[in-house]
Amino acid sequence: MRSTHKPSVNGVALDETVPGDIAAGARKNLRRDVESKLAESSRKFLKAFGDVDKQLDTLQEHIASMRTQCDEAQTQLEETSEACKALLDRAGSLREERQAIATRQSIVTLFLGQFTLSEDEKEAILSRDVPVGKRFFAAMDKAEKIRDDCRVLMTGEDGPTKAGLEILSATSGYLEQAHQKIFRWCRSEIWQMGRDNQLDVGPSMREAIRRLRQHPELFTEALAYLSQTRQATLLGAFTDALTRGGPGGLPRPIELHAHDPLRYVGDMLAWVHQAIAAEREFLESLFGVRGDMRMVGSVRTFGGSVEEEWMGELMDTAVGKLCTPLKVRVQQTVRSQESSITSYKIANLLQFYMLTMQRTIGEAAQLSKTLKELTDMAYQIFFDAIEAQGRSLLRVAPDLDDISVSPPLVVLDHAQVLREIMVVYESSLAGDETEEQLLSGFRDILDKMVDPAIESCLTSSEEKQKFRPDWDKPVFVLNTLAYLQSVIEPFRFTAEKQGVIQGLIEAKILQLTEEHYKNILTEAGLAEPIAAIGTRQPNEPLSRLPAAQPAQLQAALRQFSLWLSGPGVVESPRLSQLTVQSLAARVQQASLERLAGAYRRLCEEVRKPKNKYEAAATLLGSERPFGQVHLLWQIFGLQHSGEDEYAGKIG
Amino acid sequence: MPVDDYEADATELMETYDFLMKYIVIGEAGTGKSCLLHQFTHNSFKDHSQHTIGVEFSSRTIKLGEKRIKLQLWDTAGQERFRSVTRSYYRGAAGAILVYDITSRASFTNLAQWLADARALASPYLVTVLVGNKSDREEDREVEWAEASKWAAENDLHFLEASSLSGDNVEAPFLLCTRAILLSIESGILDPEKAGSGVSYGDRALRRVNSSSRLSFGSLSGNRRKSGTIKLRLPGPGKKCC
Ligand SMILES: Nc1nc2c(ncn2[C@@H]2O[C@H](COP(=O)(O)OP(=O)(O)OP(=O)(O)O)[C@@H](O)[C@H]2O)c(=O)[nH]1
Ligand SMILES: [Mg+2]
Repeated sequence: MRSTHKPSVNGVALDETVPGDIAAGARKNLRRDVESKLAESSRKFLKAFGDVDKQLDTLQEHIASMRTQCDEAQTQLEETSEACKALLDRAGSLREERQAIATRQSIVTLFLGQFTLSEDEKEAILSRDVPVGKRFFAAMDKAEKIRDDCRVLMTGEDGPTKAGLEILSATSGYLEQAHQKIFRWCRSEIWQMGRDNQLDVGPSMREAIRRLRQHPELFTEALAYLSQTRQATLLGAFTDALTRGGPGGLPRPIELHAHDPLRYVGDMLAWVHQAIAAEREFLESLFGVRGDMRMVGSVRTFGGSVEEEWMGELMDTAVGKLCTPLKVRVQQTVRSQESSITSYKIANLLQFYMLTMQRTIGEAAQLSKTLKELTDMAYQIFFDAIEAQGRSLLRVAPDLDDISVSPPLVVLDHAQVLREIMVVYESSLAGDETEEQLLSGFRDILDKMVDPAIESCLTSSEEKQKFRPDWDKPVFVLNTLAYLQSVIEPFRFTAEKQGVIQGLIEAKILQLTEEHYKNILTEAGLAEPIAAIGTRQPNEPLSRLPAAQPAQLQAALRQFSLWLSGPGVVESPRLSQLTVQSLAARVQQASLERLAGAYRRLCEEVRKPKNKYEAAATLLGSERPFGQVHLLWQIFGLQHSGEDEYAGKIG
Repeated sequence: MPVDDYEADATELMETYDFLMKYIVIGEAGTGKSCLLHQFTHNSFKDHSQHTIGVEFSSRTIKLGEKRIKLQLWDTAGQERFRSVTRSYYRGAAGAILVYDITSRASFTNLAQWLADARALASPYLVTVLVGNKSDREEDREVEWAEASKWAAENDLHFLEASSLSGDNVEAPFLLCTRAILLSIESGILDPEKAGSGVSYGDRALRRVNSSSRLSFGSLSGNRRKSGTIKLRLPGPGKKCC
């Protein structure tokens, strides 16, 4: 190659002496060198490759055998993998199975827990060592719950299953045992209560009774036992109170006061009343009925809840046994009473308690019936007593030697008894009675006591007068009637009888007035002229009649004038015998009025020309009151208004 | 486990007690006996109270210290005509609440007769508390506190004034009475096991007797009571509580 530039070998500029000469030599050398080197290398290569080739051959052999082995392995692997898959599948399904079984197992455990009692619970129910209390009740609750749940399950599609029926039967067995246990326990508790003489009900007892209600036979039996025990306890306590009294004999035994009939009967009844109140509280607490804060004695409505029914029955039987000792004693007391007042008081007391008990334990209760019987008996005895008293009043013969006109002693005694009985009746009134109730409650007694008194007064006075005509019967009768009236007057429930007596009194007053008028008419000298007026013939002049001739009339008028200035105008020995002054005054006044009327008639007749008195005015004017009727009224001290009242009654 | 642990539905009213005591309430008609009892058992004033006919019954359970005491209360008629009935209820009473009306001198002067009756008819251990009722009517007062207090002291009675209308001091007489009776029991004067004493044990006390030592009154006999359980308000200066 030609170039203007200096040739460079490897960048080093060579210094050439003969251009191209050196280079050619060099080239030749180089070529030779390179060629020999190349050959050398090639020989080395060939030799090396020969080794490699040999080794590759071995390798090839190895690989071939490896391949075979690999293939074998592959086949084997494939076979193994095939086998594993089945295993895995099985393992998986086994695992699933296990899962399912575990679930079922837990369900079964749960089910068992739900539907069977644990050992602990069984023990609570069965063992005598576990008391009737919280643990026991909890076990019972469990058994109840199992049954409820079980029943719910069995109402499902499957219907009653064998397992279900088994569960029901097993639990019912336990519950039966539990109820038996409660029953036994209740019995012993009740017994204990009777022994300790206490009536407190603990919560366990209340709960036990509540639970026993589900077992009617045992419940009824327990109540029967309770009622028996209470009967015995109460009877014992009552007997103690009657015969032994309190601790150390204080307060004293009730029987110690048997001589005081009211106290005796009252104490017994009060004891029973208090026992009933305590019994009721006990039963309310036993049945868990809240006390209604009702006061005993206030009206109770019956036939309410079933508890109320039980309590009624239990109270009835509990105090029922007291009836016999009570009855015997009350009867004895009532029968031995001499005094009808005491009899009446006892009857009232019995009636008071009869009503109280009827309100508290009902009319049908034995005790109420006994009290009714006793009350009726006491009233009967009382009525018998007052009837006998009335009859004896009628049998009393009049005392012929007694000339007094005041009520006889027997009537006074009788009335005194009546007065006391009335006081008792009045005090027994509640104040809310109707008028009719007020009257009817005492009507019989009044009839039985007042009627014989009136009758005996009338008949015996009649009889007495036969033997003693001079004895003043009308005054006696009026005095006796007025006395009886005064006895019953203060009591408003005697209104009817007062009316009857008042009627009799009025009739007697009229009779007495009539008699008294006639007496004073005679005393005053006017009897004959007045009689003449009444008896003359229609056309006969009065002055022609012997008793009314002027001279006779003159004398009569003088006597009248004299009488007017005497004491007869203001008083009368007969009327002063009347014990009630107002009655005497009434009779006197009525008689004077009639006397004034008679005088007026006489004056009128004298003044009439047809009676042919020559100097009528002179005749009348000669003596007081000078023919002036108003003057006579003044003298009599009468109100003039009454003048005409008796005008027509002359005769 | 104790026998009676089942108190799932034990209501206040249904709780058991340690003692049962019988009380009578006596005094002249119109002094407010029925109202006092009504206030005590119902916590309210009894409107339009009528005269009591015979006797009426009510009850209440009170707490005194640790003790629960059930009181059976017999309200008696004050009217003379019922005296023959009411007298029979003194027998076997443990306590008597004797009531007069501070606005009626007559009701106070008759107290001697009432007390004599009670002492004659009831148990010799009868505890009596005198109550001057209607303390709300200060303006009509006819009986001074000091006079009544003196009379009470002379006759060995506890005394306080109360008002059934306002409810003031109404519980106190019952608590006082109960306390005195408990002390009698504790000192052995009164035995609740004897019938006719007016006191008997309740379930609670019996259980305690059976389980542990004889009744212990600890808190009661000492001067210290459980705080806050009861408060007796006694009127008058310088009077100490119990
Ligand atoms: N201001 C006032 N009035 C009272 C109080 N207590 C009672 N009263 C009234 O007094 C009257 C008689 O009350 P009661 O409780 O019925 O009297 P009692 O003592 O029971 O009467 P008897 O049952 O007849 O013995 C009634 O009108 C009551 O309203 C009181 O604390 N204050
Ligand atoms: Mg009252």
